[in-house]
Amino acid sequence: MDSLHAIGFYVSAAVSLAGGLSVAFLPDRVRRGMALGAVAIGVAGTYLSLSAGFAALVALACYGGCAVLLAGPTYRVLESVTAVIWRQLGAVAAAALLLALVYAAYFGDFSQSKYFGGDFGSASLGRRLFAHDALATEAVAALVLVGLVGASIAWRTRDRSR
Amino acid sequence: MTVGLAAVLFVAAGLVAVGAFIAAWRRDLTAALAGVPLMFAGAGTAFAGVSRFAAAPAGGGQLLGQEVALLLSVAALAAVVLGVGLAGREGRR
Repeated sequence: MDSLHAIGFYVSAAVSLAGGLSVAFLPDRVRRGMALGAVAIGVAGTYLSLSAGFAALVALACYGGCAVLLAGPTYRVLESVTAVIWRQLGAVAAAALLLALVYAAYFGDFSQSKYFGGDFGSASLGRRLFAHDALATEAVAALVLVGLVGASIAWRTRDRSR
Repeated sequence: MTVGLAAVLFVAAGLVAVGAFIAAWRRDLTAALAGVPLMFAGAGTAFAGVSRFAAAPAGGGQLLGQEVALLLSVAALAAVVLGVGLAGREGRR
């Protein structure tokens, strides 16, 4: 990996992590949505610097869509009934998870090799998605269908109950 | 300046941990839903990094990590669509 790709990777990683922390602490939904948009740009930049150009495009569209959904006018507040102590324990567990993952990444003995794929890889990824691993693609397509149908049913029953 | 698999995994660990923190910390469940795409993005970053740096398996499966990262992005969007739809049914403005 040359210096330009390395700089792009570190800048994108910093943008995505800063955006993630902003999502955690910003008070209103529009700013949180903008921070999640920054996460989408950062993750797409990270993928791009890892020579996964097509995955970067799809990630930008999908995580950007998540940001639009969570910042849009369809947002409704749903208060949790969980006690504060459990939320604090969850935050401590997230910190413990970070330590465990960093420990595994630092002390892991990974073998490395040369990368022979192209920078974008849409043709070879398409062959894998629609030929070699078509069942996994079908499963994710079914998940998307269930998500869309479930959201539509939820909104229709809400409108009828009004 | 260079990037190795350990650096990619550090970033992935950070994204997963921040996503888990958001899901645990936010009182509003719709806001906590924003942690889901972050955790999926972290997992996808780890897969893309392994695809870029790790030794290719026999049979030319070097693009498998990119493929999983792509599918994780779509699955995250589907999860958020369903969550926002359910919150729209039960929640208040």
